[in-house]
Amino acid sequence: MITAENLSRVYEMGKVTVHALRGVSLTIQKGEFVGIMGASGSGKSTLLHLLGLLDKPTEGRIILGGIDVKDLTDRQRTRFRLKRLGYVFQDYALVPELTVEENVFLTSMVRGTPKEEYLAQSHQILDRIGLSDRLSHKHNELSGGQQQRVAIARAMVNRPEILFADEPCANLDSESSRNVLDLFKQINQEMAQTIVMVSHEDWHKRYFNRIITLRDGEIISDDPPS
Amino acid sequence: MLTDLRVSFFLASRGILRGSRGSLYLTVLIIAMVFTNMIFMPSIILGFIKVAEDQIITYQTGNIIISPHGDERFIEDVSSLLEKVNRIPGVLRASAHYGTGVTLRYKGNSIGSTVVAINPDDERLVTDVYQKMSDGDYLADGENDEIIIGIHTSGHKDPSLDMGVTLGYVKAGDEVIVEYTNGVSKAYHVKGIIETGSFYADQGAYITWDELESVFDRKVDYATELIIKTHPGTYEPEVKTMLYRFGIREKVQTWQDILEEAMGRAVQNFSMLNSITVVVSLIIAIVVLFIVIMIKTLNSRRQIGVLKAIGVDKNIIIHNYVFQVLILTTLGVIVGTALVESMVAILTVYPFQFPDGEVTPVVAASDLVNNTIMLYVASFVAGYIPAWQVANEDILTAMRS
Ligand SMILES: Nc1ncnc2c1ncn2[C@@H]1O[C@H](COP(=O)(O)OP(=O)(O)O)[C@@H](O)[C@H]1O
Ligand SMILES: [Mg+2]
Repeated sequence: MITAENLSRVYEMGKVTVHALRGVSLTIQKGEFVGIMGASGSGKSTLLHLLGLLDKPTEGRIILGGIDVKDLTDRQRTRFRLKRLGYVFQDYALVPELTVEENVFLTSMVRGTPKEEYLAQSHQILDRIGLSDRLSHKHNELSGGQQQRVAIARAMVNRPEILFADEPCANLDSESSRNVLDLFKQINQEMAQTIVMVSHEDWHKRYFNRIITLRDGEIISDDPPS
Repeated sequence: MLTDLRVSFFLASRGILRGSRGSLYLTVLIIAMVFTNMIFMPSIILGFIKVAEDQIITYQTGNIIISPHGDERFIEDVSSLLEKVNRIPGVLRASAHYGTGVTLRYKGNSIGSTVVAINPDDERLVTDVYQKMSDGDYLADGENDEIIIGIHTSGHKDPSLDMGVTLGYVKAGDEVIVEYTNGVSKAYHVKGIIETGSFYADQGAYITWDELESVFDRKVDYATELIIKTHPGTYEPEVKTMLYRFGIREKVQTWQDILEEAMGRAVQNFSMLNSITVVVSLIIAIVVLFIVIMIKTLNSRRQIGVLKAIGVDKNIIIHNYVFQVLILTTLGVIVGTALVESMVAILTVYPFQFPDGEVTPVVAASDLVNNTIMLYVASFVAGYIPAWQVANEDILTAMRS
């Protein structure tokens, strides 16, 4: 599903050169729930951004669904993200002027889905995550855990091939974190959704079925959880 | 493309409806003010010009004026010319004038002036001066020894109202002495005082044609000018063409020609002033909208990054902001039009008082349309540039902000 070969990412900041990733290779199969773990600054987000087509590697290549993404124009990358990838960010990143429902169907609207269809889809998914009574609420009328679940609904509404999540529980208390992680697990198991999630919390390990650990921009282990 | 525009519009409408109310009202108000400013100043100037036009037509030249050609001093054969002109389609009536330089004397005051001989019956059909007698009456055909004088020559009761030298408050029934250049000096009974509000008409003095002939002691069949009133709704330049076609050899000018000659520079200055007002207004509109959208986009950098990350094309994002400015401009134009219309309504009831008359603003539909279009173009530019700048930012840079 995704193959990354020898990825490296170098940040040039004036005279300082930061090697955020140094030659990372990996393959992720459909249906996996991959946890990318490691200390802060180890390159987890950088790797996720490269795999999710939000950034370009300094070296190496990425094959996504059979396509070498280097060949895509910026516009095609945007299209690709819209149609085939989903994202959940640490701080939920909901559009503040939109209601819960509108946030969820926005990308379907961009894809040109007919209105009845995208309304039905978003209602269905919000129902599933238990927020169907919050359709016309604004983001600031929801708790952090609820907002993150809306963000997951937004990412899932288009049934992406891969769902990327960068520390989705970092801003949540443990109760809400557990809720969110349960939701990911459920999506992964019931829908065979491929998920790549960054985390640095040890207790998240039990949710993943594969754990890739980074240190200083290199993979130091790639195992199923013990 | 259509889908993209629909999404942009969706985002824009939500952005406006659910964004800051205060900033919405302020922005709309500023655009409304800019619009008012663009429309109002020219409308006053247009009103001013309109008053000048009306007065020239109504009290001075009629719609068309015929004067001697080149270095001729007189129009010859006036009686047959009048007959001819009066038969031309579009002409309501022509009236001959014979103007001559005189000295007027009253109670020790004397001033140089021009006395114009008229046929009052003709003149009544051409100008409305006869309706504007502030004292006494208008002349009648065949009257001798009578004169009517404009208020700027006769003088007001209160001298502070006078503009320039006067005879010192002449009233109907008084006697003034008129000295002609041919040596004749004669006492006249003042039959009336003219006060039209038009500066030139209120400077003259008038006698009848018969009186002129008795002063010159011969038949006078020549004139210094012919003024013509056309039928209401007639386009004067067409009548002018007609006059030439009917063989008139003299110089024919419409009131438009006269106004251009008399006010050419002034009108040029006015339109210059209008252009400056419009340009300044547009710059204000551009700057305000630019700042509003820049603040909006800079505050939404992270969110714009997120939208791009989840697959929303940057053009959708740019057009979102462009739609927002266009909506703001539309609201501004609506409020602005309401403001202009109410100001015009108020000023129609309580006009500005000017020496030449009452000035009410005249809003030209073309100005409304042109300024609206210019405002839309300006706001498009003002919205597009900042939105383009932020939307082209690298996704991760934007998201980190
Ligand atoms: N935009 C950037 N410019 C410069 N250095 C960066 C940038 N992004 C990340 N880095 C550096 O790259 C390294 C890896 O960062 P990151 O992938 O964010 O780590 P993690 O997500 O594991 O905490 C860090 O040393 C970080 O300081
Ligand atoms: Mg990180």
